[in-house]
Amino acid sequence: MTQWLTPEEWQVVGLSLRVALWATLASLPVGLAVAWLLARKRFWGHALLNGVVHLPLIMPPVVTGYLLLILFGRRGFFGELLAEIGIVFAFRWTGAALACAVMGFPLMVRAMRLSIEAVDRRLEAAAGTLGANPVMVFLTVTLPLILPGVLAGAILGFAKAMGEFGATITFVSNIPGETRTLPTAIYTYLNVPGGDAGAIRLTLISVALSLAALLVSEGLARRAARHVGGV
Amino acid sequence: MHRRRILAWLLAALLLAPVSPAFAQSNEVLVFAAASLKTALDDIAKQWRAETGKTAKVSYAGSSALARQIEQGAPADLFISADSDWMNDLAGKNLIKPATRADLLGNRIVLVAAKDDKTALKIAPGFDLAGALGNNRLAMANVDAVPAGKYGKAALESLGVWPSVSAKVAQADDVRAALLLVSRGEAPFGIVYATDAAADPGVRVVDAFPADSHPPIIYPGAVLASSKTPDAEAFLAHLRSAQAKPLFERQGFSVLD
Repeated sequence: MTQWLTPEEWQVVGLSLRVALWATLASLPVGLAVAWLLARKRFWGHALLNGVVHLPLIMPPVVTGYLLLILFGRRGFFGELLAEIGIVFAFRWTGAALACAVMGFPLMVRAMRLSIEAVDRRLEAAAGTLGANPVMVFLTVTLPLILPGVLAGAILGFAKAMGEFGATITFVSNIPGETRTLPTAIYTYLNVPGGDAGAIRLTLISVALSLAALLVSEGLARRAARHVGGV
Repeated sequence: MHRRRILAWLLAALLLAPVSPAFAQSNEVLVFAAASLKTALDDIAKQWRAETGKTAKVSYAGSSALARQIEQGAPADLFISADSDWMNDLAGKNLIKPATRADLLGNRIVLVAAKDDKTALKIAPGFDLAGALGNNRLAMANVDAVPAGKYGKAALESLGVWPSVSAKVAQADDVRAALLLVSRGEAPFGIVYATDAAADPGVRVVDAFPADSHPPIIYPGAVLASSKTPDAEAFLAHLRSAQAKPLFERQGFSVLD
C-alpha cells in the first residue's frame, strides 16, 4: 500500500493529519468556553462576540490569512511577543495549525452552542436540589448531555482543518514538510503541467479521509445519544 | 393571483435575458505573461493603446501555472514565458504558432534583502547564505516549476550552497510573491530577478548572481495556435519594436534581437 503515494505525498498526508489534530485539540477548550458563554450568559457585547466568532466563516479565507500574517507574522504584533517566549508561527506547521483552528472555530462553536442550549435546565436544577455542587452538576449531568454536540463540533473543526487552504497558504505559504498540507499540495500539482496524476491521487486520499471523519462523527454522535438516552 | 403571475414572468425574463449572445466578439489581445514582466508590460500595453487604440489584457502568474492553463484550453492569444522550458513544452504539444516564436528579453537574478537591512554578503562559491539566514527563510519562487525558482536553485547548486539552504526555502507561487515576502520583512533574504528588485523600493540588492552560475535567462514569446485575433501578432511585433525597447530597458531587462 505504501507505493500508492510517493514518500513526499505520505509526508503531506502525515502533516495534514498532525496540523488538523493539533488545531482541533487546541481550539476545543476555547470553543467550549466561548459556546458556554454565548449560550448561558447575557452580557454587554454578546452580539459582538457572536459576530467576531463567526467572522472567519464569512470573510474570504485569504483575508483571514492576511490578518493572521499581520498579527502573528514575523513582524506582527503578537508574532514578535510570542517569538520572545519561543512560540513561532511564521512559515511553520504551528502557523498552519493556527490558521486551521481559526477557520474551524465558528463551526465548532455553533455545534457546541446548539447542544448546550438544548440541555433541559430543570435536570441541572434537580441535580442541584439533590446536593450536587455546580462542578458536579456540570460533570455528571451537563457534560454527558452535550457530548454529542461537542464531538460533532470537534469532528467538524477537524474536517475543516483538513481542508483549509486559503488562509493557510496566505499566512504560512507553501513549504514542503512544514506547511504543505493536502489542499496546498493538490494546488501545487495543479500549477504544473503534467501534475494531474499526483493531484488525483491526493484528491482521492482527501475524499477518503473526509468520509472517514464524517462516518466516525456520525457513529460517535449516535452512540453518545444512545448512552445518554438511557438505552 | 394575477399579480403573482406577472411577477413570475418578470422574474423568468430577467433571469433568462443575459443568455442571449449580447457580448460582441472583442478584439482584445489576451496575453499570458510571466509575473516578472508586470511593471514593464503594463506600461507597454498602455503605450500600445495610446498609439493604436487597441487593448491588450495581460494576466500575470508563474510561467508554469500559465503553461498549464494554456494546456487546459485557456483562451489566451499570446504567451510570454520566463524560460524556454515552458515554451518548448507548449511547442511540443502544438499549442503555439511556431513561426511567431521569438526570444524577446534577457534578465539577471539577484539576492535581495529588506531595504533597511544592512547585511553585506558577497556571492561566491560556498558563500555562507545559511549562516546569514539563521533560523529564517529564503524567499524564492517554486524551485521545481517556476523559472525564477529554477534559475535560483541552479545558481545555488553551481555555487555549492544549495544543500545547506534547501531546507530553509519558503517557496512562493511566483517571483513577485517571493519579492513581497522580502519586502514585508517575513523573509530576510530572497532570490528574484534584477528587474523585480528595481521595481520594488522596499528591497535592496545585496549582490547579483554570476551569469554563468545558471542557464541563460531568456524570455520567449509566441502567438498561441488557438488565437483568432490578428492583433496578437501586431502586439508581439510592438513588443519587439523600437518604441517598446526603452520601456523594457528602464526596468532592467536586456532586449534581445
